[in-house]
Amino acid sequence: MAPQALLSPLHQADGSATYSANGYSVIGAVNGPVEVSRRDELPEEAAIEVIVRPAAGVGSPRERHLESLLRTTLQHIILTRAHPRTLIQLTLQITSLPDEESAGDGSALSYSSLPLLPPLLTTALLALLSASIPLSTTLAAALVAISATGKIKCAPTAAEMVRAGPGVSSLHVFAFSAGRALVLAESEGDFEFGAWEEACAVAEEACCERVAGMEVDGEAGNGQAFLRGVVEGKVGREMRWRMAV
Amino acid sequence: MAAASPSLSFPRDIFAALSPSPFLLAHLSHDSPSTNPSRPNGRAPFEFRKPTINTGSLSHCSGSAVVRLGDTAVVCGVRGEILLASNIPNPPTLPTNLDYDGDDDAENDAAELSNLSLLVPNIELATGASPAHLPGSPPSTLAQSLTSRIRALLYSTQLLRARDLRIIYSPPPSESSGDDESAKEVKAYWALYIDIMFISLDGNAFDVAWAAVVAALRDTLLPSAWWDEDVQNILCSPSVSNARSLKLRGLPMAATFAVFKPTELLSEGEQDEENAEEKAWVLSDPDAFEEGLCKEVVTVVVDGSGGKRRVRRIEKKGGGVVGREVMKGLVRRADERWREWSQMDGLKA
Repeated sequence: MAPQALLSPLHQADGSATYSANGYSVIGAVNGPVEVSRRDELPEEAAIEVIVRPAAGVGSPRERHLESLLRTTLQHIILTRAHPRTLIQLTLQITSLPDEESAGDGSALSYSSLPLLPPLLTTALLALLSASIPLSTTLAAALVAISATGKIKCAPTAAEMVRAGPGVSSLHVFAFSAGRALVLAESEGDFEFGAWEEACAVAEEACCERVAGMEVDGEAGNGQAFLRGVVEGKVGREMRWRMAV
Repeated sequence: MAAASPSLSFPRDIFAALSPSPFLLAHLSHDSPSTNPSRPNGRAPFEFRKPTINTGSLSHCSGSAVVRLGDTAVVCGVRGEILLASNIPNPPTLPTNLDYDGDDDAENDAAELSNLSLLVPNIELATGASPAHLPGSPPSTLAQSLTSRIRALLYSTQLLRARDLRIIYSPPPSESSGDDESAKEVKAYWALYIDIMFISLDGNAFDVAWAAVVAALRDTLLPSAWWDEDVQNILCSPSVSNARSLKLRGLPMAATFAVFKPTELLSEGEQDEENAEEKAWVLSDPDAFEEGLCKEVVTVVVDGSGGKRRVRRIEKKGGGVVGREVMKGLVRRADERWREWSQMDGLKA
């Protein structure tokens, strides 16, 4: 299923976005820059708070870990120095998981938090764009699985991972900025460094726009192009009144 | 005549407290070629601290270890508790051959362990472990995040074998059932509670906590346990000679690096992408002072046991300095660090 995104579905929040891909759906809301509590106030930059709510139940240490990962990544991207002594609050609610994950049949999916990271990152970025928070760059993330036979599969679906079962020897998440810098990398499993480099190259291909050559229209598989398309669509709709003669 | 004019230079520790980032920068960017760049703590950028390991320190645990790395000290205790199979609502499917005790690393029992949550790590920061940690509050984000990473690493490396944790009952052969092999059943499991306590925290919490977990698991002795048909319960033998140790798969070890990039701390106008790439230092095994200044952190877990190097986990967050090329060097350094760990007393093969 092709990824789908919607900007600003919530009207009360400063910015919001929904994103769904491969059975994962996340809705995110950004409020900021708002007043910050005395304890969290930073004199020279904006504090960033990320809250991740799981699809069912209350947050566990796993969600805390995801929150800290997202916070450090977004800190690198948001121009926090533009809003000193304020708070940018990002709330992400996971609304649906693939059936395979909620079934909890004990494959890598049940203890790994990696498949959740790309949808969370993308939603976070879209919500920040929707809230017009100044960013230094955009980012796109991709999940890559390497099978026991050494086959590299980009953005595998949950069904593919479960069916492969013990066949998946490692899982990787990479996030690239628009300038092709590797911003986040999380890998687990059993692999050699050469395979990691290959997976990284595959993810870069999936995330970043081609540098040279012509732009191909409707390039859906590409992370940065997808972001651009979503924002272009929203701007186009908002500018309809101007275009109508 | 008058008192001497006040000196414009600060003592070292005041400089460090007032402006930590320029302090670290001044240390790293030595202009004189005679001295190698060194960190405020006296180490070279790629120098790790020397660990000490002491196993079996706690008497009420199945296994325990104390690991110290500079001023970071961790106690880890492993306690086994019994999970009765009758209390498991959806028992996992078991391999057909429960007796087999060969040395196959290919066996995939991660699902069995993770479905039942047989490994329960928990991290606690003791009162006074670090100035940043306030006592009496709920577990901090740091503690929860570390717990989650340790847990994910325990399951993804498949360090423990499910068959070490099964308690199997084979009924006495009777005339009604001829085939006694199929009658074997798992009556209970050992659940391992792995409690990790930071006595003192001076940076690089993950490496130390993980080393303590591995050393404690290697030290763990589980009493011999069996299902007693008469009392309908599990009984354990008090004798130490019957107890058996766990057989771990490999020896994954973590190495953490922090990237110090001073341009992040300058004003935005001075940021320059071209120069920023050059002006970054990768520091091995950061201490608390350095961790406070470094946003980008890389953790590499490698396992070099069995003669070949495998990477078991790579975590990198918070910045864009470490790309593919730099990461290659870091994995090599993590490999060198693995050799140091593997020579330690509590971890030696």
